[in-house]
Amino acid sequence: MYYYIFDLKKCRKHSQVADIKNYLASLGISGEFTYPSAATNIEELVDLGLSKKYNTIVGVGGDEIADRIASKIVGHPEAMGLIPLEASSDLTHLIGTANWKDAAENLRYRRIIETRIGLTANGSGFLTNLNLNLKNPTEVTLEFRDYLVQARAISVLVSNFSQGVKKIAPDHLDIVMKNAAPKPAGLLATFSNLFSSKNENLGYSMFRARSLRIFTNSQVNLLSGGYVVAKTPQLVESSDEDLRLIVGKKT
Amino acid sequence: MENNTDTIIGINVTLKGNLHNKGSIQVNGNIEGEVRSDENVLIGETAKIKGPVIAKKIEISGEVKGLVDASEKLEINSSGRIYGDINAKSLVIKEGAIFVGKSTSSSTPEKQGELKKAPTEKDEVPKTEPIENKDKLGFFSKK
Repeated sequence: MYYYIFDLKKCRKHSQVADIKNYLASLGISGEFTYPSAATNIEELVDLGLSKKYNTIVGVGGDEIADRIASKIVGHPEAMGLIPLEASSDLTHLIGTANWKDAAENLRYRRIIETRIGLTANGSGFLTNLNLNLKNPTEVTLEFRDYLVQARAISVLVSNFSQGVKKIAPDHLDIVMKNAAPKPAGLLATFSNLFSSKNENLGYSMFRARSLRIFTNSQVNLLSGGYVVAKTPQLVESSDEDLRLIVGKKT
Repeated sequence: MENNTDTIIGINVTLKGNLHNKGSIQVNGNIEGEVRSDENVLIGETAKIKGPVIAKKIEISGEVKGLVDASEKLEINSSGRIYGDINAKSLVIKEGAIFVGKSTSSSTPEKQGELKKAPTEKDEVPKTEPIENKDKLGFFSKK
């Protein structure tokens, strides 16, 4: 019934793998345990799990394994679970716990929500959000269906789920951009401190859309939970179909 | 940031095209194109819009060059500048605001229509008394 894919890089000690297996067995939700390798990657393991008719594919690890499993099984009737190890706070908030033992118990209770995921044109998916890895203020163009947005941005977040962003439409991505304020000159510079906090708030932009294209004047990485998902220019969209995700009771 | 607002255009951000939203819109940057919302549009002091703005309620503290159409209420604050026609059911213009254009009220045309409406056969025509009865001084009576 349960098909587990371990990300061994996220296990602090080799004994942690054994601890998790033993705990799952004690809960009565043991299953097949698999590990990605040079010969078989995460996506191929998910395909194997689905072909063997397992109804729950569980990632044991962080954001990367969660995103890669999610992008493979979105739209499938099979459920996805996650036992978080060094996962981002957004991801642990989404599944309802940062503790692997609690997450294992949640697998047993099988409370399932249906959620969309974000997808990029290169076939990658993300459960939480994508960040443009901008080291300096960068000219960014966001192309939406009916309009174009241009700004000198210092951060761009494309969110499917983020703790700080209120989601209005489940099938829309939320885009939050913070842009660089121009440096005041002359007398204005003297008084700029007085107005800086006000202008800082005015520097935020927010858009909601099913899809968008992101362009930058030089190629920039798109990160999810710290790992590189894609590079600009890139098309990002919300999935048409739902992912069945196992979450905690309070989520 | 305001949580109730669907879309926010930040300061020094340029948007080109048509921004149509079911929820509210807040503009602090520049827009070239139409801004349309089923709810409210708030145009901040730093905002500049070239194009029509259409919403239920509109509050303007920045600059708009184009038609402003508020189905409920339009409020132009003291720093607000509108170069274009406005149409609103309810209008508030604060001291210091600049407005260059024509103003119509969405409730006015209905009243004008009622006044101009031609009487139909079904309409009751007020009965007038015969002239003879009014001719108390006898100007029209045959001598």
